[in-house]
Amino acid sequence: MQDFAQAQHSGLIGGQPVGPSQVAEARKTRREVGFPVGWLVAPATLWLLVFLVLPLISIIVFSFWTSAKGGLVPDLTLQYYAGYFYNEGFFDQEHRNFLTLSVFIRTLGSTFYFTAVVMVLCLIVGYPIAYFLAMQVQSFKWQMALFLVCMVPFWTSYLIRAVAWLPMLGRRGLLNSLLINLDIVDKPVSFLLYSEFGYTMALVQIYVVLCVGPIFFSLSKIDPAILEAARDMGATPFQIFREIIGPLSLPGVAIGMIFIFVILMGEFATAVVVYGGKTSTTGTVILNYYAIANYPFAAVNALMLMLSMMIGVVVILRIVDIRKEL
Amino acid sequence: MTAKNGSKHIGVANGGVSRRQFMGTAAGAVAAGSVAGFPNIVQAADPIRTIGLGVSIINEIQGRASKDLGFPVRGQALGYGAMFGKMLNQNDQYEIAEGYYNDMDVFIPSKVWQPIDTKRIKEWDKVTNLSKTGRLTPDSSQGQGDAPFRQLWLDEDGNRVKGPSRYISMLPGWHNADSLGYNPKDTGRKIESWGELFSPDFKGKVALLNVPQIGVMDASLAIEALGLFKFKDKGNMTKPEIDFLIDFLIKKKQEGHFRAFWETFGQSVNLMVSGEVVLESMWSPAVTAIKAEGVPCVYAYLKEGMRGWHGGCAISAKVTGKKLDQCYEYINWWLSGWPGAFVARQGYYMSVPENVKKHLEPEEWDFWYEGKPAAKELPDPFGTIIVEKGEVRDGGSYWNRFANIAVWNSLMDENDYLVKRWTEFLSA
Amino acid sequence: MARWTPERRRKAWVKTGFSVYYMIFVVFIYGPMIAMFILSFQGRRGGTSFPMRGTSLYWWGKLIEPSTVGDLQGAMMRSLMLALIVMVITALFSTMLAMAFRKKFYGSGLLFYTVMAGLMVPGILLSLGLATLMRQMGIPAAWWSSALGVHVVWTLPFGFLVMMAVFNRFDSSLEEAARDMGADEWTVFKEITLPLITPGIVAAGLFGFTLSYDEFARTTLLAGAENTLPLDINASMTQRIRPTLFALGTASTVFSLAMIGLFLAIYTVLYRRSR
Repeated sequence: MQDFAQAQHSGLIGGQPVGPSQVAEARKTRREVGFPVGWLVAPATLWLLVFLVLPLISIIVFSFWTSAKGGLVPDLTLQYYAGYFYNEGFFDQEHRNFLTLSVFIRTLGSTFYFTAVVMVLCLIVGYPIAYFLAMQVQSFKWQMALFLVCMVPFWTSYLIRAVAWLPMLGRRGLLNSLLINLDIVDKPVSFLLYSEFGYTMALVQIYVVLCVGPIFFSLSKIDPAILEAARDMGATPFQIFREIIGPLSLPGVAIGMIFIFVILMGEFATAVVVYGGKTSTTGTVILNYYAIANYPFAAVNALMLMLSMMIGVVVILRIVDIRKEL
Repeated sequence: MTAKNGSKHIGVANGGVSRRQFMGTAAGAVAAGSVAGFPNIVQAADPIRTIGLGVSIINEIQGRASKDLGFPVRGQALGYGAMFGKMLNQNDQYEIAEGYYNDMDVFIPSKVWQPIDTKRIKEWDKVTNLSKTGRLTPDSSQGQGDAPFRQLWLDEDGNRVKGPSRYISMLPGWHNADSLGYNPKDTGRKIESWGELFSPDFKGKVALLNVPQIGVMDASLAIEALGLFKFKDKGNMTKPEIDFLIDFLIKKKQEGHFRAFWETFGQSVNLMVSGEVVLESMWSPAVTAIKAEGVPCVYAYLKEGMRGWHGGCAISAKVTGKKLDQCYEYINWWLSGWPGAFVARQGYYMSVPENVKKHLEPEEWDFWYEGKPAAKELPDPFGTIIVEKGEVRDGGSYWNRFANIAVWNSLMDENDYLVKRWTEFLSA
Repeated sequence: MARWTPERRRKAWVKTGFSVYYMIFVVFIYGPMIAMFILSFQGRRGGTSFPMRGTSLYWWGKLIEPSTVGDLQGAMMRSLMLALIVMVITALFSTMLAMAFRKKFYGSGLLFYTVMAGLMVPGILLSLGLATLMRQMGIPAAWWSSALGVHVVWTLPFGFLVMMAVFNRFDSSLEEAARDMGADEWTVFKEITLPLITPGIVAAGLFGFTLSYDEFARTTLLAGAENTLPLDINASMTQRIRPTLFALGTASTVFSLAMIGLFLAIYTVLYRRSR
């Protein structure tokens, strides 16, 4: 049996510290283990520099410029940051905004809250699927095939699938016809679409696959021999899950949650189509200011969104201390 | 572009001119050198690029233009957001912008387009007064907001002047008046006022356009019709006016008045066809599309007047030389009548009705422009029959409709504030 | 046949339970597409929502005809090409990065969060930022240059994290044994590492393909003069939405499922032969 605790694993961020004696030894033999790091990271680093870092810097620069009718004026102003946080009438008892946060912060908050809800739902719905693929399906070929089947809806353009929501969930949609034919309801229900319920369901449906993948990968690497051994020692299925499977799948869970978290925080299209535009997310706010060419304010919103995403990702990586779990 | 109008608006809208011009010249020289053997062929086939919405960028239209003009016109259709962003930020990536007058408050100061010389527009005289003076007929009302005549006239350097002058921002083209569309079977009555938008009878079955600048106009027309408030200028509201309007909308939204907010033409069609809504703010061709799918739909003629919009052709500031001549040829071609007839069959109007008339059958002209009953079945531009014999276009004749524009699509001075409050409305 | 011990029976029940759950799950995620399948056979005068006005293959025929607005076939070819290129680059870069991250190196934390930042930058602004820079430098945008650039920025973190998951708990004793026997790095990689991480590389590539094929916001200002498929579909929505789009969606779904079937068949044959 393989001893997992002892095996050498690199952490998610960098490898584990290498003992000084090993380093010395490596130096002595003049043989570096593995390909040189520099060559491995250079192409991607260069790519990211050109297509991510430089544009990102220009976004940051924009956020300090002034938006005038007809273009940006180079400047060094904090007015858009102030506009983001400051709420007119915050201290005025008479004002409707008395002691309420600015709409942008509130939108970020509600986006965050909603994201958290959907993440939990995705985990609940997706984990058993990953478990099924990794533990119940024996052959690699069927694992891949069944996993790919879950990916297929993604290969139809999102914009096309979005159009199909209405005939599916609308008042005269397929689901309502089904409910009426089965005598579950006697007249069409309207809460399926353009409602928080429909919106939540849609998001789970669209993004759950993103967490199935990584969890599936972590689970499939668990050696069946350990599970067998645990069973032989009389562990109940619940114990096995709590003590072995659960902890060993945590990295996959963390990575899946990062995927879903980041995508949902920036989500804007589903809100329009499935919620009928009846909510705003930080993504729609950015889009609305982009659409009126107020790029500095769109940039401020984007930077605040990125900041909160970064915090979220760090928190996820903290909760699941990946280096230790592995 | 001159140094003068480069002003201090650099960065996103303008910038890096000299270097780019240099690069452009260099690239041009290389290209010319490499194909020196076939100068004529290259010149003849040199294409121009045009971008816009699916309203005017239609393969049949640019295909026909290429045939008529003898050089390829490559159209790129985009959604509104993508189009606006590209027009403003990448004027080196297109020659022609098929834009809209309500965005001129951004485009004129940005100088990404060059002033169009009306001396080079052969049929400038035939362009109606709708876009020149704002009055299609002498006694029509001009309407509030960004009416074309307020956004049209420029001086030689592209600065706004009170017209008329020799230079214009954009050559007036297709336009229409938006209104409410409704399913008469479901509403059970004729809709004649914007106020019906907030009628409790239709609670939960109403949709509004989710573009803040335009959505608030429909709402303001409705609020005024109900006598709740009087806006000084619906095309340019003040902060307190926006506050009143948004607070009212929030109240309505919390009552569950709105079924959805739509963003694309197609969405508005599907909402009505699928029975989700019975009344919504709507574009005229969308009503045609709904009827084509067999669902009854009426394009309301509202006593308070309609909300107008107007599109046209602009030329990028980057275009010079022979390309510029081609651009002028192309925009002149838009006035030739054929394109106008093409868009007429979709329900849009063109700035040169007399030329359009030559390219429409008399029955078509009577139906689309004169507002008379269809004397026979009429097709859309692609040959599908969309008008049954005897049908009448709602809202009367062209001249009748455009005599009564209440407000034009606009970009307000308080736009940022409006978008902020609209965000609050949607979150409420 | 083996006897049905209580243990076997319990296992069979668990497996059946999970299989049923999987099927319900598939119905759930394919849900809205059912309406799409049906409506792709909409009659000639019908639209993209119910009721059906007859049935026909009219809209399927439209798939191969030139479209009214935009250029459906051309846009699809461009998007497919783009997605395939993105797929290869994503798989390559994420494997290389993840291999580098097996060791501690200077700046690894910074690099990690830079890669992650690709997930976080709102696409529309990334597109604006890059478009502005390119304008300053006089470089025109095109789907195979600038759009490719930002697509990889978007897909790389997905592939990278997948590969990280693969290399975590990766048993490097085999590699060390090979090195001790004098194998050079390439041989070690080819003979030992690569076979072990191939599923991960495939998954990383698949993420790349999938995310790029469907990407809209990042492409808005960076596609140049020719639209990618999402841009083209977005443009077509400024007109009436036609069931052609549903035919396209149904076709790509059927095609994908057929490819999976093909994969199963090929794999089965190869597996048999190798035995």
